[in-house]
Amino acid sequence: MNPLRKQRLYVVLSIFLGTAIAVLLVFQGLSKSINLFYSPSEILKAQIEAGTEIRVGGMVKKGSVYRETNSLKLSFEITDFEEDLVIEYEGILPDLFSEEAGVVLKGTINSKGVFVAHEVLAKHDENYMPPEVAKTLKQKK
Amino acid sequence: MIAEIGHLLLIGALVISFFVGFSPLCRFITKDNFFYRVTGPLNILVLFLVLFSFISLIYSFLNDDFSLAYVANNSNTLLPVYYKLAATWGAHEGSLLLWIFCLCLWATSYLFFNRKKDEEFVALTLAVLNQIICAFIAFTLFTSNPFERLLPIMPIQGSDLNPLLQDFAFTIHPPLLYLGYSGLAVPFALSIAALISRNIDSVWARDTRPWSLLSSGFLTLGIAVGSWWAYYELGWGGWWFWDPVENAAFVPWLISIAMFHSLIVTERRGLYKNWSILLTILAFAASILGTFLVRSGVLTSVHVFALDPERGVFILVIFSYFILGSLIIYSLMNNKLPGRSTYSLISREFGFLLNNLLLVILAISIMFGTLFPLIYEAIYDGKQISVGPPYYQVLILPFAIGLSFLQGIGLYLGWNSTKEFSFLKRIAIESFSLFLLICLFVFLVFGKFSWGSVLAIAMFCWIVSGNFIELIYNSSHLRDLKAVLFKRLALISAHLGMAFLVLGVGMVTTFSLEREVVLSEGEGYQLGDVTFTFKGIEEYKDLNYYVDSARIEIKRNDTVNEVRAEKRIYLSTNQTMTEAAIKPTLLQDYYVTLGDHLGDKTWSFKLQIKPFIRWIWFGAILIAFGTFVSSFNILKKSHE
Repeated sequence: MNPLRKQRLYVVLSIFLGTAIAVLLVFQGLSKSINLFYSPSEILKAQIEAGTEIRVGGMVKKGSVYRETNSLKLSFEITDFEEDLVIEYEGILPDLFSEEAGVVLKGTINSKGVFVAHEVLAKHDENYMPPEVAKTLKQKK
Repeated sequence: MIAEIGHLLLIGALVISFFVGFSPLCRFITKDNFFYRVTGPLNILVLFLVLFSFISLIYSFLNDDFSLAYVANNSNTLLPVYYKLAATWGAHEGSLLLWIFCLCLWATSYLFFNRKKDEEFVALTLAVLNQIICAFIAFTLFTSNPFERLLPIMPIQGSDLNPLLQDFAFTIHPPLLYLGYSGLAVPFALSIAALISRNIDSVWARDTRPWSLLSSGFLTLGIAVGSWWAYYELGWGGWWFWDPVENAAFVPWLISIAMFHSLIVTERRGLYKNWSILLTILAFAASILGTFLVRSGVLTSVHVFALDPERGVFILVIFSYFILGSLIIYSLMNNKLPGRSTYSLISREFGFLLNNLLLVILAISIMFGTLFPLIYEAIYDGKQISVGPPYYQVLILPFAIGLSFLQGIGLYLGWNSTKEFSFLKRIAIESFSLFLLICLFVFLVFGKFSWGSVLAIAMFCWIVSGNFIELIYNSSHLRDLKAVLFKRLALISAHLGMAFLVLGVGMVTTFSLEREVVLSEGEGYQLGDVTFTFKGIEEYKDLNYYVDSARIEIKRNDTVNEVRAEKRIYLSTNQTMTEAAIKPTLLQDYYVTLGDHLGDKTWSFKLQIKPFIRWIWFGAILIAFGTFVSSFNILKKSHE
């Protein structure tokens, strides 16, 4: 094989190999990290297996935040003005978490239909509504 | 009044930059060289018009001119003067003006370093740059004008700058980042000028390299400052979130690194010309797309300031004009580029090729992950998903390993082909001894190990051996050593910076400790090698906020430090903000966040230990320093 063709072969091969590895990683990565978003009323309809990680979002219901004394456990309800969903969380809440404000949570549904959140997403400012929540709320109104 | 002047100046800049942008076309039609000669002076005029327009906006901020909607939305009389200045680029409109100003600075410095060069080529480059300036000014004036008045109803008080942004790092983060973003326009303009005038040679590559290096350096600093800001200001101890906006800066950074490496091959060997040109276009595309992602609000992101689709459409139009336009020019001109020489599989050329391949594929995959939620939503009719950090973590590891490996041996590969392989053995021995030493040290300090940290240390040692120890070993005399270090200062510092970055990331990801605890006054908690004790809390009022300030004692062996973790409530917006207490040391940071008030003298706290986190930013500074030194060297050489 002449040197130029040989060189082209190397180049094409490495591009092919690099792309193949990347595609493989992309698929593996996506399967690990895609989280579907649900509103409280969608959760009731969708049969979600216990233990699947999902995101839910809605408005924190007024007067629903309940804290255990001397522990970081707390529970509250979120709503899309149609259905409510009970959330359990253990940890410190972000600054912008408050009643009647939008919130997005990451976690799993347990067998009792309670959403166990392991991450409460911090929002940018007090007027900011996560687009998913804004969209859901707009549809319901 | 001042604001109107600023507005008019900006309109003036729009008109003149439009004229400069199309003056080579006028020269083509009239054959009058006048159209080439005016581009330089007019370009400087645009710079000054934009500068004074920007100053008039700053003036409006300093004087609390709340009749301007932009000032009213982002400032407040209670705001300290320093932050009034920073508020100028605290939101969309003003930061866009800053973007334009940065680009004008780049165009003018390009002109300065090339004023004695070929008139036609410089005019073409300036024309492309001014078209970009013109497009962004038009975008500012038509969709997001910072000089818009709120008349006749003018608020007496502004609604304040977001408390998160009232911070030193935030004052310098946008200017640095925007210098990086807009700087990528210069290599792009040089490519277009070279394609049109059909002289893509090693001189072109040498003239383009410093600009790509500079913008890469500013991007590095901008991203690092942003990460540092997020680390101490958001209060959660995270330094990188794989947030769409972070990715939007990370992608052009990766491509700019690929670009200046590829340009080295084009300069020395006349190879990869088409590829280098394509990279300049790709880098500029990533830069505009970055602006688009940050500014249009299409993605769910904590950084998104604006939620206005009109702006998005406008930027898409700008994007298509420049990127499709340049790709058309590229496809018409590129096949005529001469020059081809061969190289073997184990050669420096091929090493650079692999480096570029890894960087660009990584950049594209990250971009794909960032845009995937949009694609998914379009296909599945509004079903919303998010792509989380695991995606990026899975992706980046193999690429980081590959790039680190190449960095270690790259210097010793010969152009054309490699004849001698003894360097491999030496680097292996050197890095292995260093590896054992560091592992021993880490084990003594932290008393544990993890696969991640071992891998990070291995990569660190490999890069350090290839770029430092082997260089010292190869220089036999002390005088020789000094010359080598000086000559290769840029290369050594940038690659060592990369090594520190890798080590820092690896260690902080695998060795961090964190615990959320409930503490009453006087109570302590042991985490890792230290005890955190809650000493008490005070309440008081500062200039523009109320604060709960908790005193925490951090005790390690016999050293005792006291830090303050705060929760602030800002008066004008009623917004709560956590101010973390951080005790930095060389090897690890101790990090305390104040949580909620749970009862009488009892609060929740988040305690964290972050090993080697400072090394990430230290690495970034070294990288930026390397790129700056290198670009100054080239500029100096080409100027002589």
